[in-house]
Amino acid sequence: MATVQISEAEKLYVVHGVRDDLRVDGRGCEDYRHTEIETDVVSNTDGSAKVTLGHTNVLVGIKAEIGKPKPMLPDEGYLEFFVDCSANATPEFEGRGGEGLGIELSNTLYKVFSNKQSVDLKSLCISPGEHCWVLYVDVLLLQCDGNLFDAISVAIKAALFNTKIPKVRIAEEEDGGKEIELSDDPYDCVRVNVENVPCIVTLCKIGHRHVVDATLQEKACSVASLLISVTHKGLVTCVRKLGGGSLDPESIFEMTETGKRVGKALHAPLMELLQKEESLGSKRQKVGFLG
Amino acid sequence: MLKYKTFVKKTRSGGILKVVREHYLRDDIWCGSEVCVECKDETPVLEKDPCMESNLCTFPHYLIPDTNVVLHQIDVLEDRLIRNVIILQTVLQEVRHRSAPVYKRIKDAIHTKEKNFYTFTNEHHRETFIEREPGESANDRNDRAIRVAVQWYSKHIPDSANIKVVLLTNDRLNKEKAEQAGLIAYKCEEYIKSLIANPELIDQLALTSDDKNEITSSKILFPEHLPLSQIQAGIKSGKYIQGTFRANRDNYLEGNVFVQGEGDESTEILLQGLQQLNRAVHQDVVAVELLPRKDWVAPSAVVLQDDGPKAEDDEQEEEEEKKLQMKQVAQQALKPTGRVVGIIKRNWRPYCGMLSVSLIKQATRHLFTPADRRIPKIRIETRRADSLAGQRIMVAIDGWPKNSRYPNGHFMKSLGSAGDRETETEVLLLEHDVPHLPFSQNVLSFLPKMPWTITDDVMKNRVDLRHLCVCSVDPPGCTDIDDALHCRDLENGNLEVGVHIADVSHFIRPGNALDQEAANRGTTVYLCGMRIDMVPELLSSNLCSLRSDVERLAFSCIWEMNHNAEILNTRFTKSVINSKASLTYAEAQMRIDDTSMNDDITKSLRGLNKLAKILKAGRIEKGALTLSSPEVRFHMDSETHDPIDLQTKQLMETNSMVEEFMLLANISVAQKIYDEFSECALLRKHPSPPSSNYDILHKAAKAKNLVIHTESAKELADSLNDAEIDGFPYFNTLLRILTTRCMMQAVYFCSGLDSDFRHYGLATPIYTHFTSPIRRYSDIIVHRLLAVAIGADSTYPTLMDKHKQAALCNNLNYRHKMAQYAQRSSVAFHTQLFFKNRGILNEEGFILFVRKNAIIILIPKFGLEGTVFFENKNKPSPKMVFNEEIPTLTVEGHTFNMFDCVRVTISLDASNIQHQKIRMALLEPVIPGVSVPPPDSEPEAKKMKLDR
Repeated sequence: MATVQISEAEKLYVVHGVRDDLRVDGRGCEDYRHTEIETDVVSNTDGSAKVTLGHTNVLVGIKAEIGKPKPMLPDEGYLEFFVDCSANATPEFEGRGGEGLGIELSNTLYKVFSNKQSVDLKSLCISPGEHCWVLYVDVLLLQCDGNLFDAISVAIKAALFNTKIPKVRIAEEEDGGKEIELSDDPYDCVRVNVENVPCIVTLCKIGHRHVVDATLQEKACSVASLLISVTHKGLVTCVRKLGGGSLDPESIFEMTETGKRVGKALHAPLMELLQKEESLGSKRQKVGFLG
Repeated sequence: MLKYKTFVKKTRSGGILKVVREHYLRDDIWCGSEVCVECKDETPVLEKDPCMESNLCTFPHYLIPDTNVVLHQIDVLEDRLIRNVIILQTVLQEVRHRSAPVYKRIKDAIHTKEKNFYTFTNEHHRETFIEREPGESANDRNDRAIRVAVQWYSKHIPDSANIKVVLLTNDRLNKEKAEQAGLIAYKCEEYIKSLIANPELIDQLALTSDDKNEITSSKILFPEHLPLSQIQAGIKSGKYIQGTFRANRDNYLEGNVFVQGEGDESTEILLQGLQQLNRAVHQDVVAVELLPRKDWVAPSAVVLQDDGPKAEDDEQEEEEEKKLQMKQVAQQALKPTGRVVGIIKRNWRPYCGMLSVSLIKQATRHLFTPADRRIPKIRIETRRADSLAGQRIMVAIDGWPKNSRYPNGHFMKSLGSAGDRETETEVLLLEHDVPHLPFSQNVLSFLPKMPWTITDDVMKNRVDLRHLCVCSVDPPGCTDIDDALHCRDLENGNLEVGVHIADVSHFIRPGNALDQEAANRGTTVYLCGMRIDMVPELLSSNLCSLRSDVERLAFSCIWEMNHNAEILNTRFTKSVINSKASLTYAEAQMRIDDTSMNDDITKSLRGLNKLAKILKAGRIEKGALTLSSPEVRFHMDSETHDPIDLQTKQLMETNSMVEEFMLLANISVAQKIYDEFSECALLRKHPSPPSSNYDILHKAAKAKNLVIHTESAKELADSLNDAEIDGFPYFNTLLRILTTRCMMQAVYFCSGLDSDFRHYGLATPIYTHFTSPIRRYSDIIVHRLLAVAIGADSTYPTLMDKHKQAALCNNLNYRHKMAQYAQRSSVAFHTQLFFKNRGILNEEGFILFVRKNAIIILIPKFGLEGTVFFENKNKPSPKMVFNEEIPTLTVEGHTFNMFDCVRVTISLDASNIQHQKIRMALLEPVIPGVSVPPPDSEPEAKKMKLDR
C-alpha cells in the first residue's frame, strides 16, 4: 500500500496528538475526514458511485450480467469484485505494482459483501440452478490518501443502492424449455436492498489509542490496524487484522466497540444522503469528474 | 446539448446488455417552409402556398402522417396529388425498422422534388426531442414525439402565413390526445375522401383491419396464426420448421415449404388444402408443423384452378379438396406433409393482374386475379370497376384476416389495357422482377464523354491489333456486338486464332453507380422485338460494340494452333482492334461457300470454320451434349411490331463456328483465372443431374423399345445419336427436347466456396463466361479477374472477397433465371398475338408428356407446347385410366402414349380475358365425346369454346 516516509520526530508528534485526542488535521480520534458521494456517474453501468474521502478518491461501477448460480447455492446470485489500482492513484501502482494490493482488496471485499447477511442474494436468482444475476463490482482507485477500505465500502454501498437491474421474466415453454424474456420498458427494473450492506471501519492503533480514518502519515505511525465491517444495526460481519504488528486482546475488544459505534453512526447519514440524491431524479445536475 | 439514450437489449447468446448512446440535440434544424423567416434554410422544401383542396381543411396546410399511415398508405402518399408533407424522423426510423420496401419508397418520394416532401429531424431538434417516461411504451413515446413535433410546427409557422399543419393518424387514442392539445388531426381515410381534386384516390387506400364493413361472414375460415414469440420458441425446440412457402402453379390447393437444411441439403414439406396452407402466400417465410405420418399425402397430379368468386359456396371447394385426397397411393409416394402455424415474414409485393368484376351491379368490392397463378385472388375495393375491367392493374395486399376467404388489398395503378403489347410487356417485366426503368442520371454520369477517342493513356498495357483482319459474325439486326474473330497463317506453318471481346470493364469501373446498376441488372433481357439493356445504350450499341471500320477496345484471347486444332500457345491481352466486317451468320456462310471469293476475310472465315469443325468433333468425342429445344423466332411487322410470321430458328455451320471459339475462349479464361485466383474465380458449372431425373426419359425410350444410357454424358450423347426410328424423323428431336428437360440449371459460383466445377453439358472440367460482357455482368467480373491476372488492371477488395463474390453469383443466377422466364413469357404472348387473327388452325403434333387428366402436345411447326384437357367442369368426365409406370393415359378406350402423333386444333382462347391462352383440342384420333370435329364447320367451333 501507498506509504509515506516520516521522521521519528514527526511520528512522536502524531502519537502525542492522538493521545490527547487531537490529530494533525484537527480531528478527534473517531472523526472521519470530509466526505463526498455522488451516484450514477458512469452511464453504461447498472449502478455506480464515486466517493471522495479526504484526498482518497474511488469509483465503483456495478454491472449486472446473467450467469449460472454456484452449484452449492443454486437459488442465489453472487457478487464478483475486481479492484483496479490505477497508476493515477500513486506511481507505485505503475505496471503490475498495484496487483497485489488489488487482489488483497478484492478478496476482503468478497468476504465482507458477498454473503446473504449483507446482500439479499436470493433476490438475484432468476431460475434456481440455471440463471442468476451476477453483480460485477469494479472498483477503481483514483487517488490514495489512506483508509481505502472505508472509502470503498461506502462507495460500494452507494453503488448498490444506485443499481438498477433490468426486470426479466422466465417464459415457460410447452416442452419444458425456459426462455428469458426482457421487459421492453427501460424503466422497469429491480433495485437491490442495501439495508444490511455493511460499511467497513478501519481502526489504526497509534500509541495506546486507536483512530478511525487514518491518513497516510498516521498509518505510518501505526503498527497494526483492525478492519471491522458493521451493519446499520451494529452487527459485526467481518473482522480482520491488517499490518505487521500485534494487538493485545484488550485493545482488540476496545477497537471493536469503537468500530461498532462509529460504523453504526455511519449508516444513517449515508442512507439519508443517498435517498435525498435519488429524490432529485433525472433533473439533478451531475458533477462527475470535472466538478 | 448532449443527452443520453439508454436502453437494455438481449443479445443473441442470451445475455442482457445495457446500451448507452450519446444523443446530440441541435438548434439549427430548420422547419423547411418557405414562409418561415426565423429559420435560415437556404432551399426550403415546403411551398408557401400549399394547395390541396379538401372539404375538411379549407385552409392551406402541410400534412404530417404518423408511422402507420406511411406504412399502410404509401400508395396514396406516392400519388402526385399529395404534396407538402412533413415526414418526421421518428416516423422515418420506425418505417425503416418495420418495412424496408416502404422505407425505400418513402425515401424516393422525399427525393422527388415535385412532391415537396420534407424530412424534419425532430429527434435531434432541441425543442422537439422527448425522453421516454417511466411506464410509457415505445410506441406511446413515438406518438407523443409526433404530437410534440406537430405542436412545435403549429407554433413555429408564423400566423401571418395562415398555414396550418394537419396530423394524419389512424390511431384513435393518438387523434384524441392531439385534439386535446389543440392540434388538427384527421384519420387518413377521412382526409383522403375529402380531397376534391381526385376522388379516385380513395381506391388506393389500403383497407385497414378495423374496417367494420367486412364482406365475409364472421365465420372463421382459417386457424389463428401463432404469435412470433411462440413460433421462434417452437422453431428453437424443433416443434415447428421454418421455410419458404412456394405455391403450386397448377393447383391452388397445394404448395410446398422449402426448408433450407445444413449446407446444401434441403427438404420440402407438402401442404394440401386451404386449412393447411392457412393464408400463406407464395414466397412467404412460414413456420410449419409436420403432421403425423399417418396423415401424410402424396402430391396430386391434378390441375386445379381457382375459378371465379365463390366465397360462399364452400361445398364445391370441399369437394375439390376431397378429390385431392381421395386417391389411393403407394406408401413410398407419400411426402412429409405439414400445416402452416404462423407467418414469420410476409414477402408481399405489388402484383400485376386483372379485375374480375363482381356480378352484383354497383358493388365496390371486387376480386382481383393476379397474373401469377401462384398468388391467390385478392379482394379490393374500387368504384371504378367498369373502367378498370379489361385493364392490367397493380394491386398490393394489405392483410388476410382469418375470416376471409381471400386476402384484402388495394388498387395501386393501372398499366393499360390487357392484350396491348406495351401493357403486357410491362406486366411480364414487373412479374419477373426485371429492372427495366431508364438508367438514372447518376448512372449515366459515369459514361465516357462523347466524342470519345483512343488516347495514349488508354494505349498503355494494350497491344495494337488494328492491322489484323478481324470480323464479327452475329444474328441479323444485332447492335451489341461483343465478339469478333480472326484467323491467319503464321510463318512457321501454324495458325493464329484470335477471339476479341469488347472491353466493357474499361468503361465500367468497379464500385461506381454504373457498375452497381449493371451488377443489379445482371444480364440484358431479350424479349420479342425488344431489349432491356444491362448497360446504357451508349456503351452497349456504340462504344463497346465491335462494329466494323471503327477502332474499339477489346480483350483478346489469342491462340497458336496447328492444323489439327491443338492449342500450342495461349495469350491474353488487352488490345485495340478495327473490325473489317460485321457479318450475319448467313452472310458468313455465303462467303465460306462461295468459292469465287478469296479476300482476307473469307480466308480467315474458312480457316476458322475448318478449325471449329475439328474442335466440335473433339468436344462431342468427350461427351458434350447436343440438346435441342424448340426455339421460335417471330417476323415482326416493322410498323405495328405485331408478329406476322413465325419460324423456328435455323442453325448454320457459322453458328456453331462462332460458338466453338467462344467455348474455347471461355474454357481458356476459366483455367487462367482459376490458376491465378483459386479462391475467388467466378466460374460456371453445370451439375450432372441426379439419375432420378432421367426416369421419364427411360420410360419414354422403353415404350419405343430403345435403351438410353445415362450413366455419363458421353453415353447419353452416344445413345441419343443412335436413337432413331424409321419413318419418324422427328423422334430424335423429341427425345432431345425431353432430355433437355431432365437437365439441371447451369449456375455461376465462386471457386473458393465449391469443389465441383464440372460443366456436364459441355463436358469440360472448368468453364466460365467471358465472351459477352455487354450483356452479362458475370463476364465483366471475369474480365476484371483476367485483367488483374495479366497485370493489365489493378484489383479491388470486393473482387477478392469470396463471400461477396458468392452473393453476386446468387443475384446473377436469379436474374438470369428471371430473364429466361420473362423471355419465355414474351414468346408465349407473341404466340397468342400471332394466333389471335388466325381463327382455328388444324395442326399435327406430338405428345410430349402424359399427365393424369391431360396430355401435353408439342407442335413442331410453331415450336409450341399446349395442353389438351380431358376434364371439363360442365361435362361429365370421360373414363380415364392413368398408368404412371409406362406412362400412358387411356381415355374412353384409346390409349395415349408419349410421342404419339395427334392432330389438334389450335385457337386463341379469349373467353377468359384474365388469362388469354392458346387452346388445343383433340381432333385425331377421334374419340367420341372427347375429340372435336374439324374446325371448318363454324358453329361447332363456337360450341367448343363455350364448352370451357
